[in-house]
Amino acid sequence: MRSKEKKRFPDWTKTAVGLALGLIGFCIPLFVNFDGLSFAGHLTLGIFLVAASFWMLEPIPIYATSMLVIFLQIVLLSTQGPLYQNAELPSYTVEQASGQEEVWRIPDTALQNGTLFLRTGDRSSEELQVEVVETENGFVLVRSGELTAETQIVSDVNHILTGYTPASYTVFMGTLASPIIILFLGGFMLAAAAVKYNLDKNLTNVLLKPFGEKPMFIILGLMLVTAVLSAFMSNTATTAMMMTVAIPIALQVSVEDKFRVMLALSIPIAANLGGMATPIGTPPNAIVISALNAQGEGIAFGTWMLIAVPLVLVMLLSAWGLMRVMYPPTITRFKLELDSAFDKSAKALVMYAIFALTVVLWITEAQHGIPSGMVAFLPIMGLTVTSVLEKEDIRRLPWEVLWLVAGGIALGISMENTGLAIWLVSSISWDVLPQIGLLLVFGFVALMLSNFLSNTVTATLLIPLAVSMGTSGIAGEGFSLVISAVMIGMACNMAMLLPISTPPNAIAMSTGYIKTADMVKIGSIIGIIGLFVALAYAVLFWPLILL
Amino acid sequence: MSTIYILCVEDEPEVLDVIVRDLSGLEEVFPIEMAVSADEARQIIKEINEQGDKIGLAICDHVMPGDKGVELMIEMQKEEFTERTRKVLLTGQAGLDATVEAVNHARLNRYIAKPWDPENLVNVAKDELTTYVIENEKDLLPFMGILDAKRIQEAIRARGSISDY
Repeated sequence: MRSKEKKRFPDWTKTAVGLALGLIGFCIPLFVNFDGLSFAGHLTLGIFLVAASFWMLEPIPIYATSMLVIFLQIVLLSTQGPLYQNAELPSYTVEQASGQEEVWRIPDTALQNGTLFLRTGDRSSEELQVEVVETENGFVLVRSGELTAETQIVSDVNHILTGYTPASYTVFMGTLASPIIILFLGGFMLAAAAVKYNLDKNLTNVLLKPFGEKPMFIILGLMLVTAVLSAFMSNTATTAMMMTVAIPIALQVSVEDKFRVMLALSIPIAANLGGMATPIGTPPNAIVISALNAQGEGIAFGTWMLIAVPLVLVMLLSAWGLMRVMYPPTITRFKLELDSAFDKSAKALVMYAIFALTVVLWITEAQHGIPSGMVAFLPIMGLTVTSVLEKEDIRRLPWEVLWLVAGGIALGISMENTGLAIWLVSSISWDVLPQIGLLLVFGFVALMLSNFLSNTVTATLLIPLAVSMGTSGIAGEGFSLVISAVMIGMACNMAMLLPISTPPNAIAMSTGYIKTADMVKIGSIIGIIGLFVALAYAVLFWPLILL
Repeated sequence: MSTIYILCVEDEPEVLDVIVRDLSGLEEVFPIEMAVSADEARQIIKEINEQGDKIGLAICDHVMPGDKGVELMIEMQKEEFTERTRKVLLTGQAGLDATVEAVNHARLNRYIAKPWDPENLVNVAKDELTTYVIENEKDLLPFMGILDAKRIQEAIRARGSISDY
């Protein structure tokens, strides 16, 4: 019997390397003391490293890594966990140094790099910068106008509570019910209902009709319809559905005709790009929005569309033009057979109504002020009480995606509130870069990483860094947290270089109509165009809407 | 991932060669195993089972020395390992009784009369294998290029098994 194709490395090497790196990463912060990073920051660094290794090399599924992250957080970082359950900050009352005004005597263990911590409660502290006057055996004299004779400070900067107020374990678990997750759940249920009653197929057939018989217009039509659907459904489900339209076309044209290549490329490209258009289009958007929400910078559903849709349109048209040059079709006409038969059963009609109402309420969020996460409960409730979706349908929803995003959000919370994110970015003097340079760096790194990693994971790893640069002010003047975060989110969705970059690419590749080289060629050009178009928008257009 | 085999059972070696030649386009993904008798087929089934692989499609002649093709198929239907295997009878001489027996007890999926049209044989094989992978395989993408891509895409859409990440 034939032997299977030889591989350079056996399958288990990647798993083993991933597991080993994760374990080592987790242990490093336990044995190495990093200056300027709180104890909780060390713990979070360990969680960050294990999560990054697991997310990148996937020794376990990426959603399982998210569950692991939340588990480690509730055990290690929550106020109810074994480490912090009975912890209390050690206290020391400052003494005035004799004869010198505003000079205070404190134990040297209370000071690190000119920073001491004011004890504001048993479990909470605040940083204070002081000027060191003199050191004497075991004690330091420091100058500060902020201290008084009753001020209690933390006597040990290395105490586990220093610089970190532990969050309740419910905060970490609660990420799974955060508004953005509920928004996604609403989107998933609408999409599941649409697939169940073939709304997606019928809409496609109706929407494709006006595009006529010319191959280039058929491609344009396919791309626009794919983008519209993938803005509300998962990019992958949209690609699979559109491929059922494209494959019969491909089967009727000759094998040499470039039209086949174009058919197979246009759909994943449009699906990837379409995901950017709405907050629910694709999971990285959720990471961006929830991180911004946490900083009090909410983006309404309609506002997101206002900034993203023009970008998507320009990108779709560029991709279309590019394919027209690179893969000119030979055939001149093609008659599409489009039959739409909308389901007119009572349940289907209810579903259409709920779908339309939800989308309208989402888009008009800025006008009526009801948050999109709240609106999302309309389809969740509506589709289940009317039995449009039944138990089996609910079980089939992509719950693991929600876990993946929840883990990402939870990790972001700890990276911010233990000071890890700031510590990670503070070693580089970002303020030498102009704002535009910084956006380009963010976009480029996001694009590169997400070509090889999951888009959501890329956003999860990068967004907390951008947020901390914004909140700490180390990025310098003119840094906009919102624009940087959105830029990263958009760049994550533009990664379509390889079959592994996104599931739609993998689906297109497996049809056999295209070679990896085709995908790399067009994917790299689209990535670069996208980066610069997004940059132009970020500088010229987004500030008008977001700032 | 385990390999999915095609099993062809036919007592005349020349005819067997023609069947295998007609199906050679599928061999890249679905290796073909040949048997000239029911006994040899049983041996191959056992080997494939021991390797941890699967049999997606069995194409069987009926009239053979020793056990008949329909008997082999009924046996396969009773065994857990080959129950899901798609079963095609390729014969010119099966009488009505044997055919009815095959439909009722072997859950025969297709009947192809000899002499056969090669294109039809390939289409039947692709169609049956498509059904097999949709019913039994988690990851459908590796089969899209060679089988009925439209049905596989449709299955991916309906299943929702691949999600964005």
